[in-house]
Amino acid sequence: MPASRELSVRGTPIHLMQDGTGPALLFLHGAGGAGRWLPFQERLAGDFSVYFPSHPGHGGSPAAEWIEHISDLAFHYLDLLDELGLARVHLVGASFGGWIAAEIATMASHRLASLVLIDPVGIRVDGWIYPFLFGMDIPEIVGTVFHNPMAALALAPPDQSIDTLALQYRQGAALARVAWNPYLYDPLLRRRLARIASPTLLCWGAHDRLAPLAPCGEAWAKAIPGARLQVFDDAGHVPHLEEADAVADAVAEFCRLQGAKR
Amino acid sequence: MKFYYFHLMPYIMDHDEPSSWVTLSNRHYDPAVGHTLYNQYLDQFEYAEKLGWDGLCVNEHHQNCYGTMPSPNVMAAMLVRRTTRAKIAVLGNGLPLRENPLRVAEEIAMLDVASGGRIISGFVRGISAEYFSTGVNPTHSRERFYEAAELIVRAWTEEGPFPFDGRFYRFHYVNPWPRPLQKPHPPVWCPSQGSSETVEWAAKRRFPYLMVFTPIKRIAQIYGEYREACERNGYRASRYQLTVNVPVVVAESDAKARELAEKHVMWVFNTGLRMHPPFWRPPGYITEASLRRLLANPPVLPSDLTFEQADREGYLIYGSPATVRDKLRVFADELQAGILCTAMNGGTHERTLELMQLFAEEVMPHFREDAKVDETAGVGR
Repeated sequence: MPASRELSVRGTPIHLMQDGTGPALLFLHGAGGAGRWLPFQERLAGDFSVYFPSHPGHGGSPAAEWIEHISDLAFHYLDLLDELGLARVHLVGASFGGWIAAEIATMASHRLASLVLIDPVGIRVDGWIYPFLFGMDIPEIVGTVFHNPMAALALAPPDQSIDTLALQYRQGAALARVAWNPYLYDPLLRRRLARIASPTLLCWGAHDRLAPLAPCGEAWAKAIPGARLQVFDDAGHVPHLEEADAVADAVAEFCRLQGAKR
Repeated sequence: MKFYYFHLMPYIMDHDEPSSWVTLSNRHYDPAVGHTLYNQYLDQFEYAEKLGWDGLCVNEHHQNCYGTMPSPNVMAAMLVRRTTRAKIAVLGNGLPLRENPLRVAEEIAMLDVASGGRIISGFVRGISAEYFSTGVNPTHSRERFYEAAELIVRAWTEEGPFPFDGRFYRFHYVNPWPRPLQKPHPPVWCPSQGSSETVEWAAKRRFPYLMVFTPIKRIAQIYGEYREACERNGYRASRYQLTVNVPVVVAESDAKARELAEKHVMWVFNTGLRMHPPFWRPPGYITEASLRRLLANPPVLPSDLTFEQADREGYLIYGSPATVRDKLRVFADELQAGILCTAMNGGTHERTLELMQLFAEEVMPHFREDAKVDETAGVGR
């Protein structure tokens, strides 16, 4: 079981989970993933000291009114590294968390021992418009995000209480504040990806319908210098849930390799 | 009591799609039919003035069959030149949905000047679904609304040019020509669903509050909150600050009226307001406090509303002239609403005109103690 704690990052209160020993690894979750310590994180905690914060407004972290733009979240996490006294980390981000991770990497690659992006969103890709999840009901969202719908159970809400529904609404609002329009991307990010100097692994679900391998995964692979693209055949948009062990092993191996090189 | 004829200008149709908003394909819209409808609806407005209605209400809605007036100011402009006496209430312009609120300030001023000062300017946030239609970020809705309203009122009342530097709207030169005719500016009304934040905001500014399609118990509750908010702000609410929008069907007998109401009023709720659930609740459109209040006491979805419930809870008024008079007494005497906005639909244009005439002749005169009062004097500013 990971340890849970509340801390203040430059005045912004957040909830943070932590477990494992070894080199520091910061995991940034996607929409709906806050506070979900699942087999993926558990496996990584065997090799790394895994830090898993909830974005402000998500999970146990209260909403932060000052966050208006995706770069606010990127700066927030650079502040978190300072707060935790971590000079360099392995940075792993999934989906929306991958977007934040990519923004961080364009700003401060020197703080990253490696960068892993799992089906990230965040860039505008020619020939692709991300399906509008905000306009979908739950079955439509599950059908879009998951190749294996059973994997969605890991993110199912515990109940339908007012508190749970209010939390979901708060998470949706926190996401919408930075991602409603332009939807799921920062128009400036793609051009900036060339600045990323950290070794980068892209993990991609072969059946991602939100951000498909072609053209999205291919666009990322092309835009980040030297990035390696690894495809997971039985996964959709969330391979770390759908093929948790395989993705965790790939991430661990990549990070170990980069750690050893430096 | 004052009477305002209200129109959604619906494109009445039956369909099996999950939503009448946002995604209902516009291939269903036949412009030739639309041509007939627009002209019939405008005829109804003009007839309402002839029959003695005090005001005519238009409103803004996007991408649906419920109301085909994406630009209410365009419809108001047509009425300005075809009417001479009635107030023309634009209920309202969806302020946050506009990229440039100064266009609202300009258009309302144009209408006010051309009409000789007959314009009432409603300010609304726009229905939840309209954040899907326009792309405007719903988490900015409330702040954009307040900021746009402030800018528009300043543009109407302060000598230009002046600079405005807001979070969403920034101008070096605010200096609209024309200025409105009414002083200090056209009355502002706030049609709303009763969020406590809006009640407080409107009461503070003496902006009349308009409840739309709400059960009578909730109207009573929100009116109470509004009156209290007015007291807190140091004045007593005029009854002309309390407006209610409720569909009325009056016919020769209760049975005939019921038949029309079951079909035509219920179309508005069951089909016109049928919405794919996510469109009801875009993220951040309401505060978490409002959401919790809603969840604690969830209102019935309009598409699930039955005629019996609508009747029981006072979503509508129907009956013979005598029955309608009795039901209306509750709004006039118990709720102390000063203005009734109502649409009428008899199924055909001709039948609608008959209902309007019946209402004007058999109901309205019984509520005219205030015939000589200007209901917009001193309120909404």
